[in-house]
Amino acid sequence: MKILAIDTSCDETAAAITFDTKIVSNKIWSQAVLHASFGGVMPNLAQRQHQARIDWVIDCAIKNSELKIKNLDAIAVTVGPGLGIALGVGINKAKELAIKYNLPLIPINHVEGHLLSPFANAKELNAKFPMLGLVLSGGTTMLCLVKNIGDYEILAETSDDALGEALDKGARLLGLGYPGGAILEKIARLGNPNKYKLPIPLINDVVKNRFSYSGLKTAFVRLFSTIKDPNKQDVADLAASFQNVAFEHVLRVLEFQSKNQKFEIKNLLAGGGVINNIELRKRLRLLAKKHDMRVSFPYTKKLNGDNAGMIGVTAFLKIKNEKLKMKNFYDYDSVDRNPRLKL
Amino acid sequence: MNITISRKTNPMMKIVKENKNAVDIVVDFLSNGKLVFMATETVYIAAVDATNPRAVLKLISFKNRPFGKPFSIGVTHINMAEKYVVLNKTAKDLYKRFLPGPVTVVSTGKHTVASGVEAENGTLGIRIPDYQFCLEVIKKFGKPITTTSANASYQRRPYKLTDILDNISEKQKRLIDLMIDAGELAHNEPSTVIDTTLDDELVILRQGDIKLKDKNEVLSRSEENTQNIAKELWQKYEEYSGKRAIVFCLEGEMGVGKTIFVKGLARAMGIKEQITSPSYDLLLHYSLLTNHQSLVHIDTWRMIEPNSEFKQLVNDNLINQKSVIAIEWANRIRSEIRKRADDAIIVWVKIKYAKNLTDRLISWGNL
Repeated sequence: MKILAIDTSCDETAAAITFDTKIVSNKIWSQAVLHASFGGVMPNLAQRQHQARIDWVIDCAIKNSELKIKNLDAIAVTVGPGLGIALGVGINKAKELAIKYNLPLIPINHVEGHLLSPFANAKELNAKFPMLGLVLSGGTTMLCLVKNIGDYEILAETSDDALGEALDKGARLLGLGYPGGAILEKIARLGNPNKYKLPIPLINDVVKNRFSYSGLKTAFVRLFSTIKDPNKQDVADLAASFQNVAFEHVLRVLEFQSKNQKFEIKNLLAGGGVINNIELRKRLRLLAKKHDMRVSFPYTKKLNGDNAGMIGVTAFLKIKNEKLKMKNFYDYDSVDRNPRLKL
Repeated sequence: MNITISRKTNPMMKIVKENKNAVDIVVDFLSNGKLVFMATETVYIAAVDATNPRAVLKLISFKNRPFGKPFSIGVTHINMAEKYVVLNKTAKDLYKRFLPGPVTVVSTGKHTVASGVEAENGTLGIRIPDYQFCLEVIKKFGKPITTTSANASYQRRPYKLTDILDNISEKQKRLIDLMIDAGELAHNEPSTVIDTTLDDELVILRQGDIKLKDKNEVLSRSEENTQNIAKELWQKYEEYSGKRAIVFCLEGEMGVGKTIFVKGLARAMGIKEQITSPSYDLLLHYSLLTNHQSLVHIDTWRMIEPNSEFKQLVNDNLINQKSVIAIEWANRIRSEIRKRADDAIIVWVKIKYAKNLTDRLISWGNL
């Protein structure tokens, strides 16, 4: 099934062409590309102006796929969660194209897209349900039980900040700019993760069924304020200590939940921008190994961050596994933004 | 005033008009460990015998709050207060200056009230109500009574009996034994709460009509406390809700508890959903189905050009729809907020780190 997928849930304007679980093309707008194509620097505000770049991104995705839009089987679009005005741009464009080419329009949940992103390129499809699914990004920190495609039970969600947000804020505090999660990771490699003692969030929860990062963030602000004129090594040690505890929290919740399910869990799916972090992947692999699980990440880094490829793959998997009828996806008016859509 | 009460209330619950004869009835009920609602110069209070452990448990159950959160008590005179707390010079000065009146003075307790009345750290808040009926009751009863407001936690301030009855569950209604009806009270602020147990300074825990400083500033000692202060601030502005947009502009360093404040605000508005940080999404919208009210939670932290981005996010609809808007890092969009000063109630809330690890100084104003 050939799908044009569109995602404008927050900062990124993204479009992709997918063929079943295969990603044929996956275009994400970036400042650098814009720079080249418009021959000048756009004002910063444009980073969240999807309207100006959506056509160009879709055209690129189609061109790169070497397919014609009239030969597609469906259009998939992210309807939430995300920023309302941003979602609206993608949804309106998707409707416009669906009407023009008389194609079914499939609404997709952005978080479900991240969750199922490890299924891109098909190899993982013979994995056994139920599995655990972990989504760690700038806006989402969530662990769920994947009973089947489309059948999820939330096991833990953040009650305040998301992990990606916490890492970005920690980085900004250390003077590493925004978004600084990736730089924080690099600098943390040079530091001693045990140099500073920070509280592991919710360590006293007996039943570990939630995440929280605001307390750690506050403790980090306080710790940082006690260090006078931090030098390079101090910053590296701070970065390493902060990241270490932030990940330790995820690992502890994950370990508790993996041991406390009614069924034996053999597979862990992991998606979202924070999955780019190599240290985190290493620790997830170690934990999975310890509990005789296999952890699956998206096959390419590009699928970790926000993108539309995962939306196309998710649309295909849902149609196939939930045995949905394509004729039910022509009620375009029913497709609407839902900024706080739940999984 | 007519009071409409559903049939499911405590079948034994009595409602009596406030008059001289009612004093004996109240004293009789209090002596038997009953829960009595009556007026003061601030709000209706939920009174029980503060020395009766079972009566206090009943009150905790009505207020729907965890054990360990203290209740203030009412006495008639400073001499009576000294049976229950140690009064230092600061406290004595406050009694002389403000009591009877809408001030609650927190001192070190003598552990002579029922468990659950004093705070976990052993302090106890006392006030002398400036309200004749209430004073006569305490005088005749001879023991202190609880003077906590008669609403359940995070519910609207009780200025008339229906304010209470309309906002509590059937289970809570069954706990009420007696209501003394004094009609609708003047809409005064709850009492100002002052902690005198720190030697070096007075600490305001709640700001009522009586102010001790030239600005509105209170001390929060925990996250729960910060949420509670948000609730109290909401209650100061609640009367505008639905008539004007209300904008809470939050300022304060990273990690100081701005989102915690919004959690308290949402809870006071009756929003049941989990409030999470809007840093990434920039704007999160929570709707209340019951009264068409909504809370819009915005964060400018990661906005690159906050003024113009804010303008795009908050088109004037939100102001016209009379939403409640809470903005984190509002100091980054001061000029945009100023432009809306004519159309909305603007409340600036500043949260600062303080001496102890969990302490925060919270100040506010309509600047």
